[in-house]
Amino acid sequence: MAQLGSGALIIALALAIYGILAGVIGARRNVPELVDSAVRAVWGVTALILVAAASLITAFATHDFRLVYVAGRSSVDMPLHYVLAAFYGGQEGSLLYWSMIAGLLSSLALLLHRQRDRALVPYMAATVLSVETFLLVILTVVASPFTLYPAALTPTNGVGLNPLLRDPGMMAHPPFLLAGFASFTVPFGFAMAALITGRLGSDWIRAIRRWALVSWGILGVGLLLGAWWAYHVLGWGGYWGWDPVENVALLPWLTATAFIHSVIVQERRGMLKVWNMSLVVASFILSVFGTFTVRSGLISSVHSFAVSPLGPWFLGYLSLVIIVAVGLVVYRIPGLQSDRAIESVVSRESGFLVNNLLFTALAFVTFWGTVFPLVSELFRDTKLTVGPPFYDQVNGPILLALLVLMGIGPLLAWRKSSPRLLLKNLFWPVMAGLIVIPPLLYFLRAPIPVIALAVTVFGLGTVVLEYVRGARVRRRNTGESYPRAVVMLVRKNGRRYGGYIVHIAMALLAFGIIGSHFFQVERQFTLNPGETATIRGYTLTYQGLENRMTVEGQVIGAKLAVAKNGVHRGDLESYRFFYRNYENQPTARMGIKSVGLDDVYVVLDQWDTTGNSQVVSLRIFINPLVNWIWLGGVVYVIGMLTLLWPAPSPARQRTASPVREAVLREA
Amino acid sequence: MSSGVMINPAPGRMPWLNPKLVVAGVVILIAVGFLVFQGMQSTTMAYFVTVGELEQSSASVDGRVVRVGGDVQPGSIVQGSVGQPLQFNVTDGVHSIPVSYSGSIPDIFADNTQVVIEGTYHSNGTFQADTLTTKCPSKFEAAPGGGATQSATS
Repeated sequence: MAQLGSGALIIALALAIYGILAGVIGARRNVPELVDSAVRAVWGVTALILVAAASLITAFATHDFRLVYVAGRSSVDMPLHYVLAAFYGGQEGSLLYWSMIAGLLSSLALLLHRQRDRALVPYMAATVLSVETFLLVILTVVASPFTLYPAALTPTNGVGLNPLLRDPGMMAHPPFLLAGFASFTVPFGFAMAALITGRLGSDWIRAIRRWALVSWGILGVGLLLGAWWAYHVLGWGGYWGWDPVENVALLPWLTATAFIHSVIVQERRGMLKVWNMSLVVASFILSVFGTFTVRSGLISSVHSFAVSPLGPWFLGYLSLVIIVAVGLVVYRIPGLQSDRAIESVVSRESGFLVNNLLFTALAFVTFWGTVFPLVSELFRDTKLTVGPPFYDQVNGPILLALLVLMGIGPLLAWRKSSPRLLLKNLFWPVMAGLIVIPPLLYFLRAPIPVIALAVTVFGLGTVVLEYVRGARVRRRNTGESYPRAVVMLVRKNGRRYGGYIVHIAMALLAFGIIGSHFFQVERQFTLNPGETATIRGYTLTYQGLENRMTVEGQVIGAKLAVAKNGVHRGDLESYRFFYRNYENQPTARMGIKSVGLDDVYVVLDQWDTTGNSQVVSLRIFINPLVNWIWLGGVVYVIGMLTLLWPAPSPARQRTASPVREAVLREA
Repeated sequence: MSSGVMINPAPGRMPWLNPKLVVAGVVILIAVGFLVFQGMQSTTMAYFVTVGELEQSSASVDGRVVRVGGDVQPGSIVQGSVGQPLQFNVTDGVHSIPVSYSGSIPDIFADNTQVVIEGTYHSNGTFQADTLTTKCPSKFEAAPGGGATQSATS
């Protein structure tokens, strides 16, 4: 298996280098056969990487502990799904997975665009293959997943996967996040092809938008799953800690979000071309930076590995990409001039521009905070770090400004909005925002979160208004019922109304983040069986400790009954797992019980099992509105799928256009 | 080169630069810059030091928020009874300091674990840690963005 895998990777490397040459020479000398050969090289490289991945997975499934990588991450007694997840549980495997996803998506993109965007194809293929070449060099020379133990030293059983990773959330989170990073290869490939060929018109932007959406969607899901996993496994009561590794995963998502907004301006008005190109390139660079930061220990993070030989390789590659990409953008600036000027400050165009400024500001602040220890060490000789309060204080207002813009932007007209009409349109959303202030203030008695909630209601109000208006026009023109009109609205104009679904998701996320950020309470209790803990109206009765053995190890669990205002609302159990081989690392599994809007969240800190004593030390959190974050995540996925859903055929679109015109007129 | 129809070719090299918009953009950038500046000033920034550096510069960091990285000295962990603070020593191999911590204990916490503690340092006594973060041992290889914030705040 190992020979098959490493052999496949070496052949893939050779094929990738051949493909780059074939693509470039084929395009320059105009030899279609060579260009086709380059495209087939991408498919071939992908197939070979798949062979390597399959052989690694087979090695895991058959417990082939001759492989250092397999022995270090799995063991005979682990359930099969975790054994298979161990495939991407380490450095070498995750890079193999990265190259596999990049290959698969690029192959698909080339298959779909091979005919329509013929001019872009050779350089697209060459760019993708250059990315693959870099990864394949790493996978064959620096960090091969197929390294073998000397025959005499082959262990009979593996160490097993780190307990922290043995969780359903961990099954899904890394593959999505890595796939998100890897998928930026496709938009980057298109961007480089457009820059190299000088075809900077509308064709590349059409090709790229969809693929940028794919990356943005996958990465977003990866981030949300990471938050979910942290909340359920890590036991500090939160879902996002502004840890460097979380930050670097957020960065490409922010620039991609900026791009999918500003690309609309380029499509509609032919503006912001240099800017859009830069955002695509930046998203890819930040993805590589994200992959590299975790791997190199560059920034002190809980995730960083001791010292990895990969650091210089990634740093070198990153510099190369930056030099080439920035050089190309600068070289092509004359071809990237805007077709038109922004006519008015009160216009959709400038709304998008402000949106982009805010998203890039978020990305910049996050980047600055993340690399600040390095910067301070360079200039001040001391290593200074900034913590979550810094991000809360700086990013909080920017996020709030984005929510305000979410309420205004969709109501702005292209080119020039009449301020009077805008004010008239804003009436209901503003009223919705204002009307919630007095009751919220009365119940919550804290001005800052109330303002934040009101702004979110305002942003949501605009989305609702847009749906109501669109549905009303459809109903008038077609006689459809309101629910049907809303569904048809989304189906006929998925880009606009699908985008609004994502706006709804963002509002839900905002509610959840505001609620849990400002109104979380936490207390520590030491309890004997039968004793109760009271925290914000909740009474938790500790019922005793459970101690049992499972196949994977020992489990200690504290059982509690949850009551609110004297009414029993359910039971929960908070665990510690002692996995075999990781006995000194008792892994927590939180007990979480959702009651109404709150999560009752219990961490088992300490316990005493000597004699008859079952005394435990528990940390109990009340986390309001966290469930809305997960709900927002589900809505995000629905919105993303709506955006990616193929547009209706031109014939059907034509029948829909009078309605759309009417909607536009009314707006 | 550009395929869009040139309806009203704008004058100048940067035709989209509408003066009012430039002003709006500059205002936003200044606001963000101010936020960053404020954030750096008012939120506690922690000095990241090793145990040795802490002992050397104990006078200058007395009473300040400090982040210390080091290893848990083997045999120094005193769990106390349930509900009592955790006591242990952090060492860089040469020097060591006593630490008291009463927050929740991260999963990976044992002798020789690499830890980062953050708290207020008083040169004359125990380091009172507010947060205890374990650095993952080399075996732990979270995938990128694994989100493994193995930290706990008291």
